[in-house]
Amino acid sequence: MPYEVALLNNYLLVGAALFGIGLVGFVSRRNLIVMFLSAEMMLQGVSLSLVAWGRFHNDFGGQLLVLFIIAVAACEAAVALAMITMLFRRSGKLDAAHWQTLREANQPRFHEEPLPEEFGDQPLPWPRLTPAGIQPDVPREKIDYRPKV
Amino acid sequence: MNDLPIIPILATLLGGLAFWLMLPRGTARGRGVGALAMAMALGLAGSQMPRVGDWLDNSVFFILAAVTIVSAVAAVTFRNPVYCAIWFGQMLLGTAGLFLFTGAQFLAVATTVVYAGAILVTFLFVLMLAQPEGKAAYDRVSWEAMLAAATGVVVVAALSMIIGRTFAPEGALYPWLGMPTSQQLAANVLTPAHVARLGGELFGRYLIAIEVAGVLLLVALVGAAVIIGREKR
Repeated sequence: MPYEVALLNNYLLVGAALFGIGLVGFVSRRNLIVMFLSAEMMLQGVSLSLVAWGRFHNDFGGQLLVLFIIAVAACEAAVALAMITMLFRRSGKLDAAHWQTLREANQPRFHEEPLPEEFGDQPLPWPRLTPAGIQPDVPREKIDYRPKV
Repeated sequence: MNDLPIIPILATLLGGLAFWLMLPRGTARGRGVGALAMAMALGLAGSQMPRVGDWLDNSVFFILAAVTIVSAVAAVTFRNPVYCAIWFGQMLLGTAGLFLFTGAQFLAVATTVVYAGAILVTFLFVLMLAQPEGKAAYDRVSWEAMLAAATGVVVVAALSMIIGRTFAPEGALYPWLGMPTSQQLAANVLTPAHVARLGGELFGRYLIAIEVAGVLLLVALVGAAVIIGREKR
């Protein structure tokens, strides 16, 4: 396979993979900001393909279209972040499921399953030190109390 | 056409399975297995891609592509949104490297400065204002992780199948696409006066488009200010 064709082929494949990953992220994540990052990732995949095609056709049009994509992405980021900030002021969280009352009339409600606790959220095991000196008279719950790790 | 491309199909399916395992599903079980399967899928896919030039070109391209794809997967699957944003930044740096590799110098710099410098920092700003304590409960569950991963598999499989059929050596569609010689490339896209030519094209052929883009930026600025300021009244 000639160099230019191989280059175009590989760039298109990487762009397709980026587009697919961004699509999965946009569809599945619930955090508004992560959804937005995924949409930007899809734009990056398209940009890669455009640059590769521009080189293959020996034309600056692909690169300039990517330049416009960057400009539109900046506009999009400004407006979307303003809207996300507004939504956050109303609801106090960045959860897309909080706005599910905006769904269509006969669509079912999203049910949130209770989350099992993970190890990462459990309190850390504290080390046991060898006691030294006179034992002070401190109640047990005061010793174990940790406000915030 | 007669024999199925087994390894690309296997790589895509394995990647989808790995994605489903790695997406936040309310439990941390299987994420390590998912990461391993994703690495295997990426290796399989990379082994099927055609080589580019000599070994130095090859290694640069494949390292950049691996950084980009791995960071993209991490940006989508991490549960703490701050980590998502940071991995996204690394994905942007990877794409900037790929732009540089194909000769788009100005775009590489623009992506780094505008995307990774400005847009990403704004994202992090909002994220840290809104959710300073890290991951929340809704970051640990996703909508329909399995269906989402299946959708991604279908999209990527369709796209890569079309790409593979177009450029396969025996399919040989590409002579009709027209391929530039290296002299033509050096005279136009890969010219040493890259930014000068790019600016000439931008303010020549695309003058009206860039005016429209400027107006669009202004409208977005005003719109964002209006949306944010409405609450105060």
